[in-house]
Amino acid sequence: MDNLSSEELMAKIAEGDNDSFEILVNRHQTSVLNLVYRFIGDRTQAKDLAQEVFIRVWQAAKTYKPEAKFTTWIYRITANLCFNELKSARRKKWFQFLRFDTDNEIHGEKDFPDSSPSPEDLLLAKERSRKISDALQRLPDNQRMALILKRYDDLSYQEIAKVIGCSVSAVESLLFRAKRTLQEKLKNYEK
Amino acid sequence: MKCRNVQKKLSAYQDRELEPREQEQVRNHLLSCRACREQYAELERVWQTMGGLEEIHPDPWFYRQIVRKIKEPREQRLFPSLQWVPRLLPAPVIVFILLVVGILTGTYLGNILAQSNIFLLHYEQTSETVLNSMRVFDPAPPGTLAEGYFRMVSYKENDSR
Repeated sequence: MDNLSSEELMAKIAEGDNDSFEILVNRHQTSVLNLVYRFIGDRTQAKDLAQEVFIRVWQAAKTYKPEAKFTTWIYRITANLCFNELKSARRKKWFQFLRFDTDNEIHGEKDFPDSSPSPEDLLLAKERSRKISDALQRLPDNQRMALILKRYDDLSYQEIAKVIGCSVSAVESLLFRAKRTLQEKLKNYEK
Repeated sequence: MKCRNVQKKLSAYQDRELEPREQEQVRNHLLSCRACREQYAELERVWQTMGGLEEIHPDPWFYRQIVRKIKEPREQRLFPSLQWVPRLLPAPVIVFILLVVGILTGTYLGNILAQSNIFLLHYEQTSETVLNSMRVFDPAPPGTLAEGYFRMVSYKENDSR
């Protein structure tokens, strides 16, 4: 069953096949999780959102029509969830005075791995990753999503356009501006 | 191709998204123009630096947690998000809700007090009391300074006759 395409697995999931769903999750979990993580910048939130993506996939299995590539479709669900999450996080931030608990930051401290060969390497890798993540988080949502999809998932402009829901020329412009901004922000921080 | 045009296309050139002819034109320009070549090299360096962003890996129980969430009753899944509702509501909506609740409560309690006669809010309205109460619309209602002045003037007029 591992040889089946994601579209074929979706057809089996629609019939209620749990094993197919497990294969599908295992196949796409890392890419979905990392897309969310790079976009949001928070590990715990990324895990919850990535799981929500697969819940949506499960729920949509019966109505799913393989018109586009499966990855484009699942990335579209992921991108929409990410955009909505950020919108609601910003709303929460605006009306924070209505909150009765004490967690002040929406995104809080960014999470970074603590398993690296040496403490020095760990520190450098952490610092580099933090710097890149900070630069990414400062980009407008659409630019950030386009850039992540290009840099880390190597999607074509046409696929990115389908995921974000804009034209190919808009993607070209988003990436042009995102790269230019990053060039400024990471000028003194290259390998 | 001019430098300005090339620099606009460098991003798409890097992503191999230009038409083959344009891709070739930019490549030829880069071979001959040092300034554009340096700019492209800078773009490439940033692209490489971006690779330093860490990749995370899902927990071993990632799939199990999804299945558990799917099997959870919908109300339970929704409950945590409902806790955010008061925090998400914009301030004007909350003020409006409080105002409406206040008016409705006030009206309700007012009616109860009026019906129960506790503060003698309910009294029989005779034609006299109705007439007296209507006098508040007079130019000089009873008991006011204006009424006293009018009385004094009319007394003087009557006296002079």
